[in-house]
Amino acid sequence: MKKMTIFGIVLVVAIVSIMAFAIIFPESHNKSDDSLVVSIWAYGGEPSSLNPLDGWNLEQEPLIQSTLFKRNHDMDLVNDLAEGYSVGNDGKTYIVNIKNGVKFHDGSNLTSEDVAFTYNKAISSKKVTPDLSSLNETTAINNTTVQFVLNQPDSTFLSKLTILGIVPKESYNNETYATHPIGSGPFKFVQWDKGQQIILEKNDDYYGKKPNFKKLTIVYLQGEAALASASKGEVDIAEIPAELANRTINNMRIQHYSSVDPRGIALPTVPNNSKKSNGVAIGNNVTANLAIRKALNYGINREEIIKGVFYGYGTKTYDGVSTLLPWSNPDTSIKDGDINKSIEILNENGWKDTDGDGVVEKDGLKAEFDLVYLASDSQRQAMAVTVSEQAKKFGIKINPQGKSWNEMSNFKYSNGVILGYGSRDPGELKLDYYSKLAGESNIVSYSNPTVDKHIDSAIGAKNEKDSYSEWKSVLWDGSTGISPQGDSPWVWIACKDYVYAVRNNLDISSGTATVPVHGGDLFGNIYDWMRI
Amino acid sequence: MSFDKERFKSPYSFLFGNMNLRTKTLLIISLVGFVLLAIAINSFFINVDNITTNFAIKNSQPSLQHPFGTDWMGRDMFSRTIKGLGLSIVIGGLASILSAIIAVFLGLSSTLGRYFDHAVNSMTDLFLSIPHILLIILVSISLGGGISGIVVGISLTHWIPLTRVLRAEIKQINTSTYVKLSKNFGRTKLWIAKNHLLPLLIPQIVVGTILVFPHAIMHEASVTFLGFGLSPHEPAIGIILAESMKYLSNGSWWLAFFPGLSLLIIVLLFDLIGDNLQKLLDPTQANE
Repeated sequence: MKKMTIFGIVLVVAIVSIMAFAIIFPESHNKSDDSLVVSIWAYGGEPSSLNPLDGWNLEQEPLIQSTLFKRNHDMDLVNDLAEGYSVGNDGKTYIVNIKNGVKFHDGSNLTSEDVAFTYNKAISSKKVTPDLSSLNETTAINNTTVQFVLNQPDSTFLSKLTILGIVPKESYNNETYATHPIGSGPFKFVQWDKGQQIILEKNDDYYGKKPNFKKLTIVYLQGEAALASASKGEVDIAEIPAELANRTINNMRIQHYSSVDPRGIALPTVPNNSKKSNGVAIGNNVTANLAIRKALNYGINREEIIKGVFYGYGTKTYDGVSTLLPWSNPDTSIKDGDINKSIEILNENGWKDTDGDGVVEKDGLKAEFDLVYLASDSQRQAMAVTVSEQAKKFGIKINPQGKSWNEMSNFKYSNGVILGYGSRDPGELKLDYYSKLAGESNIVSYSNPTVDKHIDSAIGAKNEKDSYSEWKSVLWDGSTGISPQGDSPWVWIACKDYVYAVRNNLDISSGTATVPVHGGDLFGNIYDWMRI
Repeated sequence: MSFDKERFKSPYSFLFGNMNLRTKTLLIISLVGFVLLAIAINSFFINVDNITTNFAIKNSQPSLQHPFGTDWMGRDMFSRTIKGLGLSIVIGGLASILSAIIAVFLGLSSTLGRYFDHAVNSMTDLFLSIPHILLIILVSISLGGGISGIVVGISLTHWIPLTRVLRAEIKQINTSTYVKLSKNFGRTKLWIAKNHLLPLLIPQIVVGTILVFPHAIMHEASVTFLGFGLSPHEPAIGIILAESMKYLSNGSWWLAFFPGLSLLIIVLLFDLIGDNLQKLLDPTQANE
């Protein structure tokens, strides 16, 4: 009888304490430790497709699919699907061996045929952004060997092999793959409630290090909504804008990563006298003057912008190449915020304020231009406003104009534009500054034969490591380059940090985090995340 | 009449004492008009470039230096609000004048014949059946955005009530004996419109125009609130209010409170002018 009473008391105490526990810590009650809810916004929010061939997570960890190679924390190339590679003597053939016995989520084998299929499809569909212009053909030599044939040696080619997730040749269907993807990555696709969430499940057959979480739910909340959701304990990680990073959230800490994602102002380097084939104007008469572009580069106070607009979550850049990248060039740094120097540059080149309106002019042309920014991005808005206020101090009038992405495509070749794109592939510099791409990806229509030559020899270098010195020369080779001392076709301002609120009981292993590209790369080391 | 007397007496009697209604009305109109004009003129002299950012004082509470507080870039909200209100008044003014012109034109053309009348009638029905805000957004986008887009958009949607009033009024006047007499004397339709219709319609037109004002301002605020027309860094009341929403959870109540209250006051002031003008111009209530 006594035993029963003691047992009863213990039972009651246990029940009461469990209930109390459930009331005090409701989240630990309804969420198991092996599931994870992550809110990311990246840029643009919810993707429109989970198909790498449509552009799903191209430079970021694709989660569902796997790539041939990856970049690790130190920017080194490491194998993913690949076992190893060799390059032909002419630099035009790449042979990649892939792992044997890798399975897609539907159980079928991943062979070199699938790799060849993915790359050939990417070239023919022309929808994907990685610059595969140097790739001619991909063929499967045997089950585990793929051959890539290039039309010219390309030292950045291995970078391109880190980008594209491999899709299955057999079951690939153009229409349904975007919403029902099958890959060989660490997570299997489960369901996608459009506008709400994407649910993934751990792939138990994954060939690499398996993640510690059975279920991964991705939601796309922005700004305040992300913060509110984090405070309620609904998400484990929330990407938040820098301006909200000073709020305290229960049980969460702020973790931020310096990125290679710069923000800058593109300044057309040619006068406004041509048009693209679709009628969009190219060039701007004011920014075509080197003195104007230089005055802006020297006069703008980057420190102040980082403090005010980025809330301190950013690092200065003068050439748009983050110091995290091995081809960054320390010689491009200048003393900025130097209003006197700007005025001096303007005066020397004949820009003077003759009518006393505070704006300098030359031959009847006022130093005034429009600065287009993405209206929905408050950080870019604040940048535009701050830059225009700073430029006013040395006599350049900048009129900010908020536009949507669609509208911007009509304005970006003929006005100042606030843009940013960060890549772990140095080939980005070719897209931005190569004269043959003027009016295309080189939106400022920049052209300099010396810079072209440096780009050509960087692309033609024996391997990636050898190309770095040439890429550095693109930025500044001692006499010319795209840096402020040189032709300054852009005013680069800062690389933004990606800021996340992370639950205290979660370790996202910042020691192995990959270098964030445009949009961040939070999932780059998801294999190492764990509850603590 | 006694009911009207009570209604008009109560709100202002403690202010105006024993003045007669005409004097009171005139006083109210001129006072309110002065306030609105002062805001419009003041805002004209505020240079947007001078409302500079100052990140050291971002999101600071209302103080003597910044009576309406500062926003997320440390800009003075008082200047921004006044500038925004001025913009609203200008847009409202342009839009109501334009819509009044449209209304008069359509109202008068409805007298030209049965088919014209039908055309005007079906056009009012058509425009009535489309939601205002939708049409304003469509028009302002198709005109490439900006202030002109909003003005045209609002003018194209706010002529309807006035047109209907004018058309009814004209129909009534046309049945009167002196118009019939003029017709019998062989006067042209234009002559009748000019000499018989227009003078009698002027009170309606004036009051109608003034009463479009508040609607136009509200619609300007809603359109800019939704992010159409102007860039998000420009000080329009709608943009200011839309932006304030992001900072409300932060506790920055002043970002929404003062601009919202000011907008409300401006709209009410225009309504007050409209009501009083009606009293002044309507002969049945002119003197007491």
